[in-house]
Amino acid sequence: MAAILQILILGLALGGVIALMGSGLSLVFGVMRIVNLAHPSLIIAGAYITYWAFKASGVDPILMLPVSAAIMAAIGVLLYRLMFERETNSVKYSEMTVLLTFALAMMVEGVLGGLFTNTQRVTSPDYATEAFFIGDVFIPKGQLYAGLVSLTIITALTLFLKYSRLGYAIRATTQNREAAELLGVNVNFISILAFAIGLGLAGAAGSLVSFVFSFFPAKHWEWVAMLMSVVVLGGMGSILGTVVAALLLSVVAAFVGTWIGATWSTMTFFLALFLILLIRPQGLFGEKPEMA
Amino acid sequence: MSELLQVTNITAGYGDGPAILDGAHLTVEPGKVHCIIGPNGAGKSTLLKSICGMLTIRKGEVVFNGKRLNGMRPDQILREGICFVPQERALFPKMTVRENLRMGGFILDDHKKLERRIDEILERFPILRERAEQHAGTMSGGQQQTLAMARTLIIKPAIVMLDEPSLGLAPKVIQEMFDIMKMMSAEGVTVLLVEQNALMGLKNSDWGVVLDLGRTLFEGPAGDVLADPRIQELYLGGNKAA
Repeated sequence: MAAILQILILGLALGGVIALMGSGLSLVFGVMRIVNLAHPSLIIAGAYITYWAFKASGVDPILMLPVSAAIMAAIGVLLYRLMFERETNSVKYSEMTVLLTFALAMMVEGVLGGLFTNTQRVTSPDYATEAFFIGDVFIPKGQLYAGLVSLTIITALTLFLKYSRLGYAIRATTQNREAAELLGVNVNFISILAFAIGLGLAGAAGSLVSFVFSFFPAKHWEWVAMLMSVVVLGGMGSILGTVVAALLLSVVAAFVGTWIGATWSTMTFFLALFLILLIRPQGLFGEKPEMA
Repeated sequence: MSELLQVTNITAGYGDGPAILDGAHLTVEPGKVHCIIGPNGAGKSTLLKSICGMLTIRKGEVVFNGKRLNGMRPDQILREGICFVPQERALFPKMTVRENLRMGGFILDDHKKLERRIDEILERFPILRERAEQHAGTMSGGQQQTLAMARTLIIKPAIVMLDEPSLGLAPKVIQEMFDIMKMMSAEGVTVLLVEQNALMGLKNSDWGVVLDLGRTLFEGPAGDVLADPRIQELYLGGNKAA
């Protein structure tokens, strides 16, 4: 029983971080229909910002989170204006954004490789190697803190989307871009804002990832499939779906990793992606866009 | 005639494609219901989309209350007081009725005023009040159309443009939509209507506009349009006005 509880706790803690990693991807897809293949590489960029600050002056990764988020959000504004704004009226918008974000991912990987080499990195605050013990069960402090911070950020994001005026505009743009525009929403501004928030979430996730996983510039290839499976399972564009899917898959992956073998753990995400596309392409919380 | 909106010989189309409108004109008087009729592909919906800023006007001009609207974005035109309800009703299916109404007042800065307006609308439309917390996407077609039309009233617009509000609705429900439209007009809201059911549209309007191949062929009092034998033959299926 203690062993099952142990696996469950580890799975949930990691799931919280993966939920944050996927929520930015989901938001950007929901509002702009951009499948941002560069999202994981931008998470790694956030991790490197945090790593650099930690190495240079010992700044705690969690304290660096708002800085990393702000830097990535600012980069998001620039990237959107440079890369996507001019494509919004293109009939091949979706295809173009896939190609553009693929190219962006390659560029980010190249820049990070040039700056930091391809060596595996990890920030190592004291709590990253400590744990709480409750009987026979241990809870790694690093994963626990990362999971709790992730879920706090996602809760704040959800409240913002649910109750603020800008949140209404983002949700409206997600559900019906043309209708939002007709009701006075400046959808271009909302797209820039949502992209900035999406990349801000990538930056925030990067800070947490920096002490939970080891990372190197090409790591994003592994994460892109994992995050896609989370976002597709949850329902493209649904933040709640992303959280549920991340927690669910992480827990399943933890059990698979423990009982079958660590190398099969990642397969859980890929298999889920494959099955969900076959059985329920709109995901758990996705809905068909047609009105009733 | 003291016009509220003047559309003068406009040319417009989708993207870089061919012009759908080519020489369309229109005069809109305040407080009246205007019905645009014409065959499929005449450019009726394109005309409304051009007025509300969804399409770029290539030639000609649109003047509202003495102000030129050419080149303005839809949100800017809305702030001038022109609301547009497209064929698809433009609701947010995963938002509740109340949230949809709140979006209807997105351009209002006064939050208390907005909530007061929402309560007024819910009071006037009992079916919406009953379903205030229901997701719009789960309502019937008629209820959705009622919501789409009621939502325009939140900002007390000068002109409401309706693109085929009767589309896909049962006959009994269609009459309810026209009743709402008349109520809007009685309150001083000018209505610009595109209607495939030309006979019914004209019977419920003050002014008729006949559009064909992107051009305005005729405009005048709805009664005159209904009585014109050529228009009856070409656009009203040979039906004589009752």
